[in-house]
Amino acid sequence: MAVVQAILDGLMIGGVYAVISIGLTLVFGVMGIVNFAQAEFLMLGMFVAYYAWAWLGLDPLLAAPLAFAVVFLLGAALQHMLIRRVLKAPEVAQIFLTVGLLIVLENAALLMFGSGFRSVSTPYQTSSLQLGPLFVSVPYLAAFAMSVASGLALWLFLKSSWFGRAMRATAQDPMAARLMGIDADRMHMLAFALGVGLTAFGGAVILPYLTASPTVGTQFAVLMFTVVVLGGLGSVAGAVVGGLAVGIIQSLSALVFPIQLQNLVLFVVFIAVLAFRPKGLLGAAR
Amino acid sequence: MSAPSLRQAAGLALLAALAIALPFAFEPRGYGIRILCLALLFAAMAQAWNIVAGLANQISLGHAAFFGIGAYTSTLLLIHFGLTPWLGMMAAAVLGGLAALLISLPTMRLRGHYFALATLAFGEVMRVIGNSWGGLTGGPVGISVPYAKPSLGLMQFADTRASYWLMLGALVVVTVIFVAIKENADAAEVIGVDTTRTKIVAAVISGALTAALGTLYAQFQFFFDPDTVFGVASISVRMAMIAIVGGIGTAAGPILGAFFVIPLEEIANQVFSAQAAGLSQLVFGVLLILVILVEPRGFMAIGPRIRRLLRREER
Repeated sequence: MAVVQAILDGLMIGGVYAVISIGLTLVFGVMGIVNFAQAEFLMLGMFVAYYAWAWLGLDPLLAAPLAFAVVFLLGAALQHMLIRRVLKAPEVAQIFLTVGLLIVLENAALLMFGSGFRSVSTPYQTSSLQLGPLFVSVPYLAAFAMSVASGLALWLFLKSSWFGRAMRATAQDPMAARLMGIDADRMHMLAFALGVGLTAFGGAVILPYLTASPTVGTQFAVLMFTVVVLGGLGSVAGAVVGGLAVGIIQSLSALVFPIQLQNLVLFVVFIAVLAFRPKGLLGAAR
Repeated sequence: MSAPSLRQAAGLALLAALAIALPFAFEPRGYGIRILCLALLFAAMAQAWNIVAGLANQISLGHAAFFGIGAYTSTLLLIHFGLTPWLGMMAAAVLGGLAALLISLPTMRLRGHYFALATLAFGEVMRVIGNSWGGLTGGPVGISVPYAKPSLGLMQFADTRASYWLMLGALVVVTVIFVAIKENADAAEVIGVDTTRTKIVAAVISGALTAALGTLYAQFQFFFDPDTVFGVASISVRMAMIAIVGGIGTAAGPILGAFFVIPLEEIANQVFSAQAAGLSQLVFGVLLILVILVEPRGFMAIGPRIRRLLRREER
């Protein structure tokens, strides 16, 4: 029964991992760069939600759209000012531009918010539901539900809106998309803003069970890379599968290993996948 | 490289004499000479990174793994077996080279972003192990190098100038190896040798050198913890950044970069740290972004740029 419970817990956190990682894979799929600073936007989302709670008394789940909106705008600005300039540059420039951005965002947060840990209190924080012999913690369930909702919204957007289709076209064949009158620059801006905004949304919904701090991103950085590499870099559907898989691997390994070694299992899986299936477990599907 | 001309040789000799004599201008145990030592050490580290990045054209974000292995290997051998750090450094280099072999064999075929991701994860694996295997490493609280009566045999000096010459020697060794591999790689490419194998050899040499430099760091600082020596920002990214700022793939780049970045960082720490933690790191990040946007080939590209401009004016 402990195993079933662990799989259930893993699914709950895995749903969140999927949503925070979709942004990373979206940016890679459309623009061909890996955003090493992606996890910092999760941190920013957590802080937006934290201040919305502290100043306005807003529940983090309700503040999630606000976190999305704020970080969406920030992402559009960063894409326009910085990322756009290295899209055709050598990989070393692309890698270290986003690494520089990571350092700047983390330390700017340290200056603005201080190094302390911030947490919110909500009425449902410690409650849990019982399903026969299994338990589901309410904040985890809520974060999972919000993640599924935002994932579905993104899917609908990509599938049926003009912008979504234009964005997918840009990812598939930038030249053809340009010939059809799609402005690639605008699509890149939209993809980057949407990508980091979605990650910030995920940051907000996990605030009821995690504490925010300027360095919280480091906990998530390699985890997010593992998710997207498992599913295949650039594949949105892959990120969903990868997110759930990582959640389950993490909670199953918690049954066997001490807590400090949980991430170790993840890193080993990550390196193994990179080494043997660099296109992801699902193959090269986009 | 063709045989250096007489003028080049004279220039090098002058530079060497200056470098050796420089510490006499500083207080033997002062703050200034410590910064010089760190600048030399980081120049050597960036040069070791440069072997993989500049020559094998692979961006590593995980060189802290080798650096930390080196720091812990010599320190643990000294604590438990009283082994001199000189031999400890050899053991560190062997382990560092093995670790580099272990990670490059499956990953060296990967391109660009994928290789960067794999090495980043490898560095993090080592940091997690360093923090959680407390029985061996002392865990997150860190570890101290046992303090003894200063002696050459234990690589502990009363006079910081001795450390300076040690670091200078290390930088020269790594730079000579870099130049030798560079010439070899250029020749190999012409003949058409298996490049993946050449890249793995470069990675192993780079890992071994980085580990040996980790030993020097441990003997210089006397105290360290896993988050410092296995750190992404404190070691991996800093090594890379120094090489990039100076000029990736060039022999002089990492040296220029280190003597710019390390003193700047120290000054920033002195000026800002009292008011706000994080400000000097923020400066560091902004600098990295500026270099990437303005001149991704670093300082080494600025000289030729100016010369070209001047020549254009003459016409």
